Amino acid sequence: MSEYDRAITVFSPDGHLFQVEYAQEAVKKGSTAVGIRGKDIVVLGVEKKSVAKLQEERTVRKICALDDHVCMAFAGLTADARIVINRARVECQSHRLTVEDPVTVEYITRHIATLKQRYTQSNGRRPFGISALIVGFDYDGTPRLYQTDPSGTYHYIALHANAIGRSAKTVREFLEKNYTEESIATDNEAIKLAIKALLEVVQSGGKNIELAVIRRNQSLKLLESKEIETLVTEIEKEKEEEAEKKKQKKST
Amino acid sequence: MATFFGEVLSVYSRAVEEDDEDLDDENEDEQIHRAIEEKREVHIAWCPEVAQSLEGKLQCSELIIAVGTNAAGFLSAYVLNTESWDAVGHASLWNERSRGSSRQSIAPLPGEPACLFYRHRDNPAVLVCQSTCYIAEDQLFQWTEKVFGCLQKRGLSVMVLSDSPVAEYKTPDYLYGSAVPFLRSLKSSASKSQALCPALEQPNILTGLPAAVLSHCQVHQIPAVLYQCYTDVISPDSITMETYKPALLCLSKLVKLEPCLSADVLRKFAIITEAQSNLYT
Repeated sequence: MSEYDRAITVFSPDGHLFQVEYAQEAVKKGSTAVGIRGKDIVVLGVEKKSVAKLQEERTVRKICALDDHVCMAFAGLTADARIVINRARVECQSHRLTVEDPVTVEYITRHIATLKQRYTQSNGRRPFGISALIVGFDYDGTPRLYQTDPSGTYHYIALHANAIGRSAKTVREFLEKNYTEESIATDNEAIKLAIKALLEVVQSGGKNIELAVIRRNQSLKLLESKEIETLVTEIEKEKEEEAEKKKQKKST
Repeated sequence: MATFFGEVLSVYSRAVEEDDEDLDDENEDEQIHRAIEEKREVHIAWCPEVAQSLEGKLQCSELIIAVGTNAAGFLSAYVLNTESWDAVGHASLWNERSRGSSRQSIAPLPGEPACLFYRHRDNPAVLVCQSTCYIAEDQLFQWTEKVFGCLQKRGLSVMVLSDSPVAEYKTPDYLYGSAVPFLRSLKSSASKSQALCPALEQPNILTGLPAAVLSHCQVHQIPAVLYQCYTDVISPDSITMETYKPALLCLSKLVKLEPCLSADVLRKFAIITEAQSNLYT
């Protein structure tokens, strides 16, 4: 196996591109990010990593706006993400100038994915070690959520929600169990679903969660930590009430 | 001698000559070898009270060795945290990767890679060894002989906890992320206890200090069990440390342990390098 994983441009006899698969392992080293597509809102939630005391917290941002109506969260190598985001931002503006229309979420996702794929076929370059969740609204008002990964594939998340990064499997299982039409019925419910999903894997609760939302015809808004704390308290209260109800049901 | 290509090589004569010069050269070589051997010697330094009782051998019924930062962190958090342990000695050695121990008599500073021995106050037959420094291949045999030479063989049983990167785990199946970190065990044939996790599959092998200890135990028929933890994190990490928990079951019969550790205490032992690295976000 080890002879086929040194060069990106070499297939192994059983058809693997090991460098690409190893790049996906690099993604798993980044902290979790979750994306939820609601009816009138799209939500991105990330697990904030603790930074060194001497470091400004804001310099390590996992959620970035690509344009007024599109934003993305990534998991994986920070530096690779910076390059991809810069190229995506330039492409958004270039598209506006050439076509005189803002990009659709699918277009910019395809652009990022094509960029990533190019790096899996060139000699001397390694793949980008990031996966991205791209959310936004198209100009017809439809909310969209896409995911890309280091191999350059991208998929449309028809199921309203997905997660990437360290504990993505746990979060995905939670979302599969708990997402319903009601759970994203209102904006607030969609935000709470994102927080609930992250609380499954985040170790110290609300203060390690960062949340961003885009509402139709509005630009990216990052929630303040106070708002997140309020929502976390609400969720914990609801959990307690659920537990109480279950206890009462058992006793009757 | 002239070679085919026209260069002239000086050739040593194989005729036996009794030359004084040769002896001097040999002496120099011997001196160099001796100097290197002395430099690379493994020294075990015990504290005064233990050194006295070493006229006979140290009574020891259970020896627990932790090799690697995660195994050592696990012992520090779950076992040594109860404050009924005394530091009774340390091993000092020098090699290219462990240069810190040139001071043999002074105990290593906390946080430095080192090899430390602890003994339980209430049950002095239980010894714990934390080894976080690199021991070179040529020093492993010496280390094992010297340490086991101080212990009484009868009634001794050994447990080794060791870290290893999961990249070195060879398996035909693809390892999904949720399986890592995981434990594998290996026993000496004298060990009758049930291992608490699957045995290490072929073609995986052990290397380094754990292998030296287990080989010694196998040769001298000492019951020994080893738990190897495969992890994908290179720095000390609280989740990896928690993977060693099954080993606590054997230990709890002998000594009092921290019953239920909060995640915060574990994280204290996981080094701050986690926060300072912005490589992955």
